[in-house]
Amino acid sequence: MSSFSNERLGAPNPSSSRILIYHLRDVVKTREAEGVAFRLLVPSLQIAMGEKVALIGESGSGKSTLLDMLSMTLKPSEIGSFRFRPGAGAEPVDISEHWRKNRLNRLGDLRRQRIGYVMQTGGLLPYLTVRENIGLSRRLLNMPGDEMIEELAGNLGIRRHLDKLPHLLSVGERQRVAIGRALAHRPSIVIADEPTASLDPIAAEKIMSLFIELVDELHITVIIASHAWRHINRLGLRHLSHVTRRKENGHTTETVVSG
Amino acid sequence: MGRALVLRRFKNVFWLANRDYKNEWQMSSFFVIALAAVLAPMMILFGLKFGIIGSMLDNLIEDPRNREIRPIGSGRYDRTWIENLRSQTGVNFIVPRTRAIAATIQLKSEKASRILSVEMLPTDRGDPLLNGLDIPTGLHQLVLSESAARKLKAGKGDKISGSLARRFRGRSERVHIDLTVVDIAKPGAFSRDGAFAPVYLVESAEAFRDGQAVPALGWKGDKPKDAGRTYPSFRLYTRSIYDVEPISKILLQQGIEVRTRAADIEIVRNMDRNLSAVFWLIAVIGLIGFSFSLGASLWANVDRKRKELSVLRLVGFRTGDIIWFPVIQSLFTGVLGWVSASLIYLGVAYTINEMFASQLESGDTVCRLLPEHFLIALGLTCTAAILAATLAGYRAARVEPSEGLRDI
Repeated sequence: MSSFSNERLGAPNPSSSRILIYHLRDVVKTREAEGVAFRLLVPSLQIAMGEKVALIGESGSGKSTLLDMLSMTLKPSEIGSFRFRPGAGAEPVDISEHWRKNRLNRLGDLRRQRIGYVMQTGGLLPYLTVRENIGLSRRLLNMPGDEMIEELAGNLGIRRHLDKLPHLLSVGERQRVAIGRALAHRPSIVIADEPTASLDPIAAEKIMSLFIELVDELHITVIIASHAWRHINRLGLRHLSHVTRRKENGHTTETVVSG
Repeated sequence: MGRALVLRRFKNVFWLANRDYKNEWQMSSFFVIALAAVLAPMMILFGLKFGIIGSMLDNLIEDPRNREIRPIGSGRYDRTWIENLRSQTGVNFIVPRTRAIAATIQLKSEKASRILSVEMLPTDRGDPLLNGLDIPTGLHQLVLSESAARKLKAGKGDKISGSLARRFRGRSERVHIDLTVVDIAKPGAFSRDGAFAPVYLVESAEAFRDGQAVPALGWKGDKPKDAGRTYPSFRLYTRSIYDVEPISKILLQQGIEVRTRAADIEIVRNMDRNLSAVFWLIAVIGLIGFSFSLGASLWANVDRKRKELSVLRLVGFRTGDIIWFPVIQSLFTGVLGWVSASLIYLGVAYTINEMFASQLESGDTVCRLLPEHFLIALGLTCTAAILAATLAGYRAARVEPSEGLRDI
């Protein structure tokens, strides 16, 4: 636990009593494409269990890069330290160690068990019914419980679609299914990347409220990325500080995220 | 614990691959049809090759005439020489032959009015031409060739009479002999009018013609000179068609020119080899072509399904699990294509065999495959399918979980 004491003065929301699910220090990802370099810096990031965090910024500002690193699907270029606590009672896991030793399957196991993911547009498997899509992670983890899926579908208002294939559903309904799938196996954290970007504003607001309501009820930590979000404050999410600047040489964009 | 876990993961991949395959049934059936279109003609081609050449080879092996070695011209072979040859490995049957002219006999049956002049062929137990028939023994039995029996209207067990004529000391003489037809030879055994008779009867006929006495039959003449008896020819059959060449060589070394059907046998065996080579060439080209087209489509599938594959990676499927995805689907195509091709083959083979049925001896088929040929076809198809899928599988496994997650 001592490694989780706050080392930086003036960090946002410093609170020693919180149980941290993510604790990142000096994590850097550098990407270069067509002569333009992009650099994402995370001097310090702490996310507590049960917290609801929002990452707001324009597209191309590195939100997705950060989310991929947090979901352990993208290897950071440099890591000071990167710890992830799989559950409330569990010891934190040293993710940087896994990356260094290239233990991709270990990371896959953590992801399968502990992380739920809501994608920009569904990301549902077209050949599975809504019920099977929602239950996919549960099936992989050998978790029983069809009632759980029924209940979740009821809460999401898609119970009547359970035995349909996704292509028969509207975009909004599919997004509800995606939320269902991310929550069904009771992960420790749900990561959502622009979950409502493809919806009209009214539907977007409705689904987002429902989403937040559900994670609150299930005590699941959530990180949501969005480019523009009017009603964020109403849902009581914590902003991560996000600064993008262009370097003097003109072809390096640097984004600093902390919180 | 490890094994159960692996099994469960494989079951999950199998389930997903199966659902995807069924969901894209149009695409899937297209590939099944494409495979069947390659495989079915190959199976029919091989079936024809196997059926036709197989029948030809079977006939060659079964037909005793292909195991015959005939000496050309006449020689002087004594009993000892013939016994020596009989003990040679590879020799199945040998009897001495008398002079052809002296071996004719006139036959008359009560049922037919005509007198028929037939050649006598010396025979003995184990004569391959009389396989499965009663063998004549003693001096009063013979087996008629099919054409002789027809002309004499004689059947098995009938009594007929034979007669021989000679000029002896300036006078024409004729003797008669009662004979029993113990069996009728098969049509293929001897095509002319002939009679298979015990060696002793044939020898007796020759002795009578030569003016000698045959006491056993009451025929009078000069005193027979038994010592140093030689024969101008012999009837020789080897055990198999493969013994024809070595035995011929032994005879050639002794200066005996022979005639065999070795050339016919060699032609069919050559044809078998060449057709097999042609068939395998076509099969390999076909299967490689199919593997490439299936491989290319599976490869393209990885791109098409990038997003779905990345979702699978994201929910925690391991690299090793994802490789199975295209492999399982490819195997589905392989097995279904093989089943379709087999059904097409069975239908076509039935039709072909029906078409030729009237022109074939019973038991011969034009188009034929053994059960193991179907299994070999399945094995080759599945191997090709797995090879085609491996590259795609490897590529699929390299799809990053974060790839294709966003539509940028």
